[in-house]
Amino acid sequence: MRFEERVVPTIKIGDCLLVPIQIDLDDRTVEQLQAQLLAEIQEKRVRAIILDVRMVDVIDSYISYTLSETAAMARLMGCQAVICGIQPAVALTLAQMGIELRNLMVARDLEHALALV
Amino acid sequence: MEGERDKRGLMDIQEEDFDVVVRISREDDIAIARQMAKQLAQEAGFSLADVTKIATAVSELARNIYRYAQTGVIMIRKQYQETNNPTVQVVAVDRGPGIEDLDLALRRGYTTHERSLGIGLSGVKRLMDSFEIASKVGVGTTVVVEKRRRKF
Repeated sequence: MRFEERVVPTIKIGDCLLVPIQIDLDDRTVEQLQAQLLAEIQEKRVRAIILDVRMVDVIDSYISYTLSETAAMARLMGCQAVICGIQPAVALTLAQMGIELRNLMVARDLEHALALV
Repeated sequence: MEGERDKRGLMDIQEEDFDVVVRISREDDIAIARQMAKQLAQEAGFSLADVTKIATAVSELARNIYRYAQTGVIMIRKQYQETNNPTVQVVAVDRGPGIEDLDLALRRGYTTHERSLGIGLSGVKRLMDSFEIASKVGVGTTVVVEKRRRKF
């Protein structure tokens, strides 16, 4: 995958792909991220992707939908998806809206995420 | 049901009465509206939790405009009804196709879009303190939501 197609720089740790999301996720970015991750799963043969969302201030219904969908696609490629570091205010908002982040495993932090996969 | 209100109240909203007006016509405008809402709520001294809820609600409303009406406006203002207890009001207006069945549109899980949880409008209602919607097929849709600042 060419560098300019990447919206989020990723780091391979063992056979996991760490995805630290440090940008504002708008609709286009989250769609580009999905395409990027699927390409990287195929290319790097990782068994898990770990989405670190510590820096993400807003996760709305479409971002949730696309992340869950990405996790379902990853699973079909034999790869697990974990999300970690959801901010308290974001957790509160998601819970109040009734959003479950289907297909994603949830971890407290990176260490916990690595222990899960 | 909301038809009467539609003619009198919700439709004669003046843009100049608002602190922030964001025109929604491109996908990027959703993130812009969200950022503006966040900034305004922060300035008004809302808690991080409530800033996040307001920003998320604006994101949903802006996306609905972009998806279903293509263009519209998000207007946001601070209101001071009582001293030191501001309210953030968000108004989303479009001249899109309108919603035929409001009860159905507000039902959790209902959507006419293929890439959606069907949680947007019902979610906005849950996140905010007040929620009003008026819609007329062929005329457009107006949503007015408010959140009061809480003291902790």
